[in-house]
Amino acid sequence: VTYKWLSYTLGVHVNQAKQMLYDYVERKRKENSGAQLHVTYLVAGNLLQNGHVCHKVAVVREDKLEAMKSKLSTIASVHVYSIQKALLKDSSPLYNTDYDIVKTNLHHCSKFSAIRCAAAVPRTPPDVPRAQTSTQSSQPQRDPDAAGVVNGHGPPAAKPPPQQHKGIMGMFAAKAASKPQDTNKEAKAEAKEAPGVSAASSKPPTKNNIMNNFFGKAAMNKLKVNSVPEQQKEEKEVAKPSVAVAEPESSPNTVVEKPGKKTESTRIQQKDKKSKMKRVDRSDDEEERDPENVKKKRKRIKQLQSDSSDEEDVPPSPTPEEERAPSPPPVPALKTELEPASTEVSAGGRKRKRKRVLKSKMFIDEEEGCM
Amino acid sequence: MFSEQAAPTAQGLLAPPSAEPPTFPRVSVSGYSDCSQPFQLGERSFSRQYAHIYAVRLAGMRPGLERRARSRWGNDIVLRKLSELQAGEKCCVVGTLFKAMQLQPSILQEISEEHNLVPQPPLPKYIQPSDELILEDELQRIKLEGAIDVQRLVTGTILAVYGSEQDDGRFLVEDHCFADLPPPLPWKGPCSDRFVLLTSGLGLGSVSGEALLSTQLLVDVVTGQLGAEGEQSCAAHIARVILAGNLLSQNTQSRDTINKAKYLTKKTQAASVEAVKMLDEILLQLCTSVPVDVMPGEFDPTNYTLPQQPLHRCMLPLASAYTTLHLVTNPYQADLDGVRFLGTSGQNVSDIFKYSSMDNYLEILEWTLLAGHISPTAPDTLGCYPFYKSDPFILTECPHVYFCGNAPRFQSKLLQGEEGQRVLLLTVPDFSTTQTACLVNLRDLTCQPITFSGFGAEDED
Repeated sequence: VTYKWLSYTLGVHVNQAKQMLYDYVERKRKENSGAQLHVTYLVAGNLLQNGHVCHKVAVVREDKLEAMKSKLSTIASVHVYSIQKALLKDSSPLYNTDYDIVKTNLHHCSKFSAIRCAAAVPRTPPDVPRAQTSTQSSQPQRDPDAAGVVNGHGPPAAKPPPQQHKGIMGMFAAKAASKPQDTNKEAKAEAKEAPGVSAASSKPPTKNNIMNNFFGKAAMNKLKVNSVPEQQKEEKEVAKPSVAVAEPESSPNTVVEKPGKKTESTRIQQKDKKSKMKRVDRSDDEEERDPENVKKKRKRIKQLQSDSSDEEDVPPSPTPEEERAPSPPPVPALKTELEPASTEVSAGGRKRKRKRVLKSKMFIDEEEGCM
Repeated sequence: MFSEQAAPTAQGLLAPPSAEPPTFPRVSVSGYSDCSQPFQLGERSFSRQYAHIYAVRLAGMRPGLERRARSRWGNDIVLRKLSELQAGEKCCVVGTLFKAMQLQPSILQEISEEHNLVPQPPLPKYIQPSDELILEDELQRIKLEGAIDVQRLVTGTILAVYGSEQDDGRFLVEDHCFADLPPPLPWKGPCSDRFVLLTSGLGLGSVSGEALLSTQLLVDVVTGQLGAEGEQSCAAHIARVILAGNLLSQNTQSRDTINKAKYLTKKTQAASVEAVKMLDEILLQLCTSVPVDVMPGEFDPTNYTLPQQPLHRCMLPLASAYTTLHLVTNPYQADLDGVRFLGTSGQNVSDIFKYSSMDNYLEILEWTLLAGHISPTAPDTLGCYPFYKSDPFILTECPHVYFCGNAPRFQSKLLQGEEGQRVLLLTVPDFSTTQTACLVNLRDLTCQPITFSGFGAEDED
């Protein structure tokens, strides 16, 4: 048992873990229960070596502790490193324990550390492809990259699906856009549970770039890999249509309906939600092109749902509308931009449609994997 | 450094659990800028001859050397090119040095059939008493003799010699000088304690695992998990970590695929794959807590020729998701909080070590600084890209910290120059053999080694 293992297993600060170990040793020794405990300590301090003062950090067995302490001219720290029942021949079991526990917690290994670094923020996925949008060839590179990360995150992935759901719900809750941003970011940032640092400042530029990438080819591939950008895209439609992504603006009603559908979806089980995503996505495409088909879509989806679609539809719809009302004033301006952008939009939509099947399949796989 | 500040609370953790322990925020490096653009190669074309590098090098360093020569031997000395030399006249010539060494491994000798020679095994040093020095400039070359230390100098150095031409065609040298320290950079260092941790030669992927615990201890100290509170708060002052090369060990270099038959090696993986995965995990632990600069080294999966390009980020999928990871070139130059760092992973120094009588890595490092060039042996015995527009290895500004990685042991020296330059020369030891890393204090340019150790069955002291 090393202090690091204890800290991860119990979820406490490393210093507390060290103190706990010490406490345990003291108590056991006092009780004199007969079980022999072997303790190793960590000693650090200054040592005169080869003519210069060298800072030494060493793991020592208990019997060598005093000897090491006397060798050091000043002692910087002493604490319990680990406790074992049997005498250790060398330090490799200590290393192995630590290695294993760190490996299973790789993504939040600094959670219990004594130092927090504000700069250590995981790069959000759009930043990554943005740097590489110049070459198409780099995209496949990024895909295995992202896939690898997603797969590697299998074990702690129990969190991401609920977060995604929360993201969707939060998106369309009647709150300010910042809230869905937070939850969405957590779901989006490849579920890296970085110690509580959410760079909210990076959110708006990130979103804008997602918007920009939306109709770029790069975004097509990205959408294929990650279901999360799908949500982002939808969130974007609702929250901040500053770029000429005209689809939300094509008809406020249709967009309002979409969020409405989505809120319904989250209240129902996952399976329905999955199919809903497919539908909603398809309906995205079509809404851009034929606003009049929307009514049809809505009816179809309503049939799918188990209950109370009407009431649920209406109350959430005014709220997202409100939400969008405070969004930037260029809403009417964007309507004029609708025409030039619509061709772009429809092209993008068509492309997306082609890839749609694959994407939703991937979504299912990921969902099921995570479940 | 750590110890004095940390001593008061040293025993603090030998106590029952207390209230919520403090966490310390990491001090941020506000002024970081990467200045290693000259070392980044864009489009690479190898269809050029290497002679251009020497021409460019000479042209680039000639003005500085002429100035230095005038200040040293008087303003009225005659500066001549080799083609204008007159016998018996005392003058000064600026040119490139070439050392003709018998033992120097030559590819022509190897493939020459009439000799039927086995290729020469690598020797630690290739110098011999019979080596000769030849000075070349743009058009001619001349043999040097006299007050010049043949053993010490290496091919590719630009220097100015003062003497006269003899009747037999050789140049008798009375004195010589190098470009000396380049002009100093203004000092804008921080006023509070900021540390940078330098380490090199992590040697992952090697067969032996003794250094692994030490590596883990290093990571723990830097990320603040190890040590009592005092030490942890000191570790929070570590603003940056620089890994100066040789992250993988030499063992990962062997490629059985060349020697063995294909059917035997079909399912085997290159040893470097596992090592890179391990590296990725270690870097991830470091990146969540501190900005890291990773320089490639001799055994790392990047190009062999200098300047080595950064490792590709797809090799480190977990760690490169963090913005705190910086993959940089070798040689590396950067401005941290107003302090200019310049350093290599040690290939230049070890190459000079092989071809010169200088034995001390620190001495060699100082000598390259005085000679005004990071790696004079570059195209000759060390692989280099064929530059033709300018030689990026010429030192134009004096860095504040000049380091080289993978040295056999830790050495440091603060050098004072005539024009007010202050340089900390640092040889970063190889971590896999010495388990030592260096901590540089940016405020006053002092440096301290840190050693890590575990315990094994054999040490009973």
